[in-house]
Amino acid sequence: MATIPDQAFAFRTVSKTYDSFATGTRFALREVSFEVASGAIIAVVGRSGSGKSTLLNLAAGIDSPSSGSVLWEGRDIGTLPDRERTLRRRDYVGFVFQFFHLLSHLTVRENVAVPDLIAGGAGAGYAARIPELLGRVGLADRADDAVDRLSGGEMQRVAICRALLRRPRLVLADEPTGNLDDETGRAVMDLMLELVRAEGSTLIYVTHSRELAALADQVWEIHSGQLDIG
Amino acid sequence: MIRYLVRSTPAHVRRSRSLYVLTVLGVALGVGAVLSIQIINGSALAAFRGSMRAVSGEVDLVVLGRTPVFPESLYVAVTGTPGVERAWPMYRTDVAVRDVDGQFLEVYGIDLFQPVGLPIDSASGDVADVLAMPGWTAIMPELAEELSLGIGDTLVVSAGSNTAPLRIGGIVDFRRLAPLASTTIVVMDLAQAQHFFDASGLINQIDVRLEPDADAEDVRAVLRGRLGPAVDVLTPEQREQRAEGLLAAFRLNLTALSLISLFVGLFLVFASTQASLVRRRTEFGLLRAMGATRGQVLALMLAETVLLGTVGVGLGLALGYWVAATNIDVVSATLTNIYLLSEIERLALPPRMFALASAIGIGGALAGSLGPALDMARRDPKHLLSAFVLHERLHTASVPLALSGLAIVAGSGLWYVIAGRAWQPAGFVLAIALLAGFPLLTPLTIRLATTPIRVRDFGFTYSLRGLAVRLRATAIAVAALAVAVSMLTGITVMVSSFRQTLTVWVESTLLADVYVTTESWARSTGPAPLDTTFLPAVRAMPGIAGIDLVRTFTAILDDRRVGIGGVDFGAGLPETRYPFLETDGPDPIGRVHERGAVIISEPLARKENRWSGDSLTITGSRGPVTLPIAGVYYDYATEAGYVTMDLMTMDAVYGPGPLSNVAVYLTDGADAERTLDAVRALVAGQPIDVRSNRGLKREVYRIFEETFAITRILQAMGLLIAACGITLTLLVIARERVSELALYRALGALRGQIFTLFLGKGLSMAALALVLGTVAGSLLAVILIFVINRSYFGWTIQAHWRWGTLLWQDVAIVAAAAAASVYPALRAARAPASELSRADL
Repeated sequence: MATIPDQAFAFRTVSKTYDSFATGTRFALREVSFEVASGAIIAVVGRSGSGKSTLLNLAAGIDSPSSGSVLWEGRDIGTLPDRERTLRRRDYVGFVFQFFHLLSHLTVRENVAVPDLIAGGAGAGYAARIPELLGRVGLADRADDAVDRLSGGEMQRVAICRALLRRPRLVLADEPTGNLDDETGRAVMDLMLELVRAEGSTLIYVTHSRELAALADQVWEIHSGQLDIG
Repeated sequence: MIRYLVRSTPAHVRRSRSLYVLTVLGVALGVGAVLSIQIINGSALAAFRGSMRAVSGEVDLVVLGRTPVFPESLYVAVTGTPGVERAWPMYRTDVAVRDVDGQFLEVYGIDLFQPVGLPIDSASGDVADVLAMPGWTAIMPELAEELSLGIGDTLVVSAGSNTAPLRIGGIVDFRRLAPLASTTIVVMDLAQAQHFFDASGLINQIDVRLEPDADAEDVRAVLRGRLGPAVDVLTPEQREQRAEGLLAAFRLNLTALSLISLFVGLFLVFASTQASLVRRRTEFGLLRAMGATRGQVLALMLAETVLLGTVGVGLGLALGYWVAATNIDVVSATLTNIYLLSEIERLALPPRMFALASAIGIGGALAGSLGPALDMARRDPKHLLSAFVLHERLHTASVPLALSGLAIVAGSGLWYVIAGRAWQPAGFVLAIALLAGFPLLTPLTIRLATTPIRVRDFGFTYSLRGLAVRLRATAIAVAALAVAVSMLTGITVMVSSFRQTLTVWVESTLLADVYVTTESWARSTGPAPLDTTFLPAVRAMPGIAGIDLVRTFTAILDDRRVGIGGVDFGAGLPETRYPFLETDGPDPIGRVHERGAVIISEPLARKENRWSGDSLTITGSRGPVTLPIAGVYYDYATEAGYVTMDLMTMDAVYGPGPLSNVAVYLTDGADAERTLDAVRALVAGQPIDVRSNRGLKREVYRIFEETFAITRILQAMGLLIAACGITLTLLVIARERVSELALYRALGALRGQIFTLFLGKGLSMAALALVLGTVAGSLLAVILIFVINRSYFGWTIQAHWRWGTLLWQDVAIVAAAAAASVYPALRAARAPASELSRADL
């Protein structure tokens, strides 16, 4: 596989199928190809079950394509063993989820530090970055609070800090405002875009909202597993 | 609903195999622990009862001596009593088989013409002919096979120093009369037995059959008046009760231990039911939404528990039988060594015992699942169908729970100090309160221990911090393990304290260099006379500082069988042989020697509540004699109790009799080994044991270890159940927290890290359980040592924490917890990151 260093991220004719006795082979994603340059911000829209989450899972390397290649900086991650792929994911990908997925037994600061803990650090390497990120999302004074004391918008802001902590090249956000009201959702989205742009990361986010999709550099639409890059 | 149960249960079992397996295991281990002890306890009594019925048949009354033997002239008084149809005298003695080490037999000299119908297969064809055959003996077929003996062979046995060549003249299968009869029963003609064992004119039992219309109580009263205080007249039931009384403390303690294992098993059932029901809350919500009543849903849940409990009971019954069967030898050794009762050769398995164990198992499973089931049944459909968080309620309840636990423990302690001391079972009340109260501290302890922890890595501290997230599940697992740890710690401290106390006692009391006794003495309730013709030669040996002369046998004091010892206190030997707990003044030994006082062992003092300054009425061969108690001494040889007097006093009370033991003291620097060899040479060929000081001590410690062997089995079962609890909890966490695990994987956690995280959770739970369990176990040890042991066994035990042993035990517990965590950790490590998308954290 040839490397493509000028592109942060690419799919090459990626398909994902599921087999079942009842329905036979079903395509969740059908021969999807694209290339995304570093720093690009992409919104993906589509109906429920259209394949948005599958796309993100494959992009993150937490699922493997049935055929085709997923390339991170030119390297086909599908050919890597699980361990290698996981280690690369630590450095390459950051996540923001619809339901925040914060850990209730940890404080705000500790939640942000989790990716570093997993990477074998003890938070010291990011001692300055954690308050800086929290400051940028307006939660500097909540660092030692329990996360269950936060509002939904605040929780998602903590999740954004967590996603950006290790300066990932690629940030994947699965309906990051789907669990927030419109006003809060918009504010959170603005904050996320601002931070991602400042960090120079590539962002792919899934949303149902045309309004929020319009904030991206490109809007892709997905129908029945087929991607329309438009 | 029954149809629904039948259809849904197999599917649930398939889906949550591990959960159901652990429920079944919890019931099985609990039932196994209880049943094994009940079988062992029951078999101990059945062995006694079996031998008694085999020889005596169905009698109405039994006349037993309060001393080992009584004159056979009393027999005439019995037969002449109105209402007595027939009576048979009997002489029983314990003998050692010469040249077969450790083989003891019970010889019964009986009237071979008694109408019991002994199932004797005699070679002579006519039982009457045996009277003319010296040494004619009938043995059990099993013994004949074991010792390779046949009709016409000779079996040489010894009772004390007396040896007797028994000629095998018949095979008697007592098991046709009583299936649990000991195979070591040997019968011979009464007169021949008296002759061989130097007991002419003496018997120790008369079996009585009454006329059909005679009133047993009336005849008993008449017989007691006629025969005087030297004998007891008992019904067979009263005789069994006496044996039961002898073993009461031993049996009660084993039962209590097995119940602790059951208690730990119930935690497992509770936890697994809880987890299973939480997983199925949506199903119950749907059933309720579709019109099922609360009662129907509750019945569904409980019926499923009964089904699982039944499987658990089935396994538990098999396990209980297996544990009993494999440990019967060690318990049997305790019965014969400590209590001088028949050994257990066969397990008694009455159906009611299995019925009881089944009821305990099913009842226990229901008790364990009732709480979670009621909790689930009372919720409305809306609540059940929504993603509710059941566990958080425990966070708010943790403080009241802890306060309740403390109140139970403190309240029971206060009750004991104010009112409970005099009540014998008070110690068990304290222990139950402790084991019930302490687990209630667990939720708060977990919260307090985990909340302040600063997460420094994705390892142990992270695991520890996460324990409070699923507080209900983790609290139950930690509590179960803490109970098991407390049982382990409490018993280990008690046993090591006992061992240390015994060591100190043995070192201060076993001061002689050479001990001489007969081979049959250790098992003998009678005098076991020692032929002391070797003594002058020993006295003439160089380096002899003194010789202790001892005469022992057992006798009945009130309704208790106690040891009676006569010692030559005039020999000027070390008085530290009797370490006193208390005396009524200086020089108690002097008063024993010169004024006919007695000293009694601590267990007897505590059980009879008699102390120095009191007196003791003993029934001697010439009637009751009241003797002053000069002191109470520490004694750990027997829990039954011991009365020690001067040999002269003993002769006066019981009549002159043979010595049974001799202890030789050497001067400093004398060669003990040489003396030992010289004494052995003097008694060579005689049925006499000559042991060194070290050899005797070794034997004492061996018997000690044997006595606690079954305790260790129960400890292991308790630990196994608790380890299953950890596996269960981690499996539940792995399943319920699949979303959290997926998050870690998405954020770049390796499978190995997830595995380590779960291992860390298991170890964190073990660490918390160790802390709680060690505190509770230390308190339990104090209760065992200072309350239960004193009230039931009568021993003062000096508390001794053997840190090395405890440390190793803790290492074993941590290892068990680690092992228990491996499977769930592997399961958790396999959680795919793609599971993240929908579930909440």
